Amino acid sequence: MYRLSKMRFGFPIGLFLLLFIDGSISQVFSRQMFNAPSVMVSHLVVLWLVCGVLFEENMAMPLVKWAAVIGAVFDLYYTGIFGVYIFVFPLVVYLTRQLVSYISPNFLSGLLIYFIDITIVEALSFVASRAVHMTSMSGSSFLVNTLGPTLAFNLAMFVILYFPIRWVYNWLK
Amino acid sequence: MQKFSFNRRLVIIIVCLIVSFALMTVSVAIRNKKSTPPLIQQFGNDIVGLTDRVVALPANGLNGSVSAISELLNTYQENQQLKKQVSELAQTKVRDQTLAKENKQLKQQIKLNDSLTDYTAISAAVITRTPSSWQNQVVINKGSSAGVVKNMPVMSGSGLVGRVAEVNKTNSKVELITDNNDAANRFAVSITTKAGKTVNGVLSGYKSATGQIVMDNLTTKSKISKGDKVVTSGLGGVTPKGLFVGTVAQSVGSDYGLSTKLYITPATDLSDLNIVTVAVTKQ
Repeated sequence: MYRLSKMRFGFPIGLFLLLFIDGSISQVFSRQMFNAPSVMVSHLVVLWLVCGVLFEENMAMPLVKWAAVIGAVFDLYYTGIFGVYIFVFPLVVYLTRQLVSYISPNFLSGLLIYFIDITIVEALSFVASRAVHMTSMSGSSFLVNTLGPTLAFNLAMFVILYFPIRWVYNWLK
Repeated sequence: MQKFSFNRRLVIIIVCLIVSFALMTVSVAIRNKKSTPPLIQQFGNDIVGLTDRVVALPANGLNGSVSAISELLNTYQENQQLKKQVSELAQTKVRDQTLAKENKQLKQQIKLNDSLTDYTAISAAVITRTPSSWQNQVVINKGSSAGVVKNMPVMSGSGLVGRVAEVNKTNSKVELITDNNDAANRFAVSITTKAGKTVNGVLSGYKSATGQIVMDNLTTKSKISKGDKVVTSGLGGVTPKGLFVGTVAQSVGSDYGLSTKLYITPATDLSDLNIVTVAVTKQ
């Protein structure tokens, strides 16, 4: 039961913590991660949300709602352009739920699902940024310089953090 | 029934898309036109900013101690070099003081109160950086309560790094020069050539492959050579005169051969910002 578990408070706390850690990683390792032209973007918030779906089992957590909330905070605090991540994060949660209903979640299928999720997050935010003239990056240089390194970084983070996060979720249940 | 649910999903998707674009357009318009974001957004950003400080403090502290250790290794060599520079610097400083004093007296004589070069500095720490590949943006811990106003130039170390894009009560967002959106890096600058001529222009972009600032559409006949210093000209807005931007790295003909295009090496390392200075003009 979601309502009676530690998850009720633990999940949002973890979500916000990882949101801030995303920014802090970007700041502390800015020399390595924003080493132009290739750019790595940390998406630990997405990792937390996707892991929420993977380890949810029959708990029925309000993940879409929290995804929208954290997307709104992300938009307001980090980018200042409202209306991008507030829709992208819930979409990712919805999509992951759909995928999980077809593939039983384990480490490897989780990696595959996370690959798709990160691609969608980056691609949609790229399309949105192009639409409002926040960037003038071309599609091909987006694929090579942003999507490639970002996927590499985030999949590495998935591999490193999958078991610790599973432990945290089991402890919160 | 199947068809109905498919239609409903389609409607939801289209409504979400429309709302998303509407919100994006509105927030971009607000960002470009208004001096502060709506009150709710400011309030939210202040609260989130305060919480973020708790998380960011240990992370930035750790960063500081790690870089302190790595810097310790080449301290000796650096010390030798710096000693030489210090003796020269003392002389320059004394001369600078005398000139500043003279300048002040002269200004008083012609009853000129504030000129384009006058500014006061607010120093601020960088809390966090936007985890996004198209927005090179950092959040600093000073806001409108400290006197920061939108569009003020921001410096770090010896040179210009960006401008204030959004101001909240206790924090504000700084768009770096490296950002390539339509409004990020349009600073009015001037170059003094070796022959003593002044060339005015506007920065027009950033070339991320080489890490150089681009200045396009220069229609000047005077020869600009490598190593000429680029400073802000103080024309047209809140940027004071004389902030160092960088040095000219290359001067080429523009794409259509009608004007000159300059590549400028930035004065500071733009990828590593910890403490920045916001320049406040008195106008």
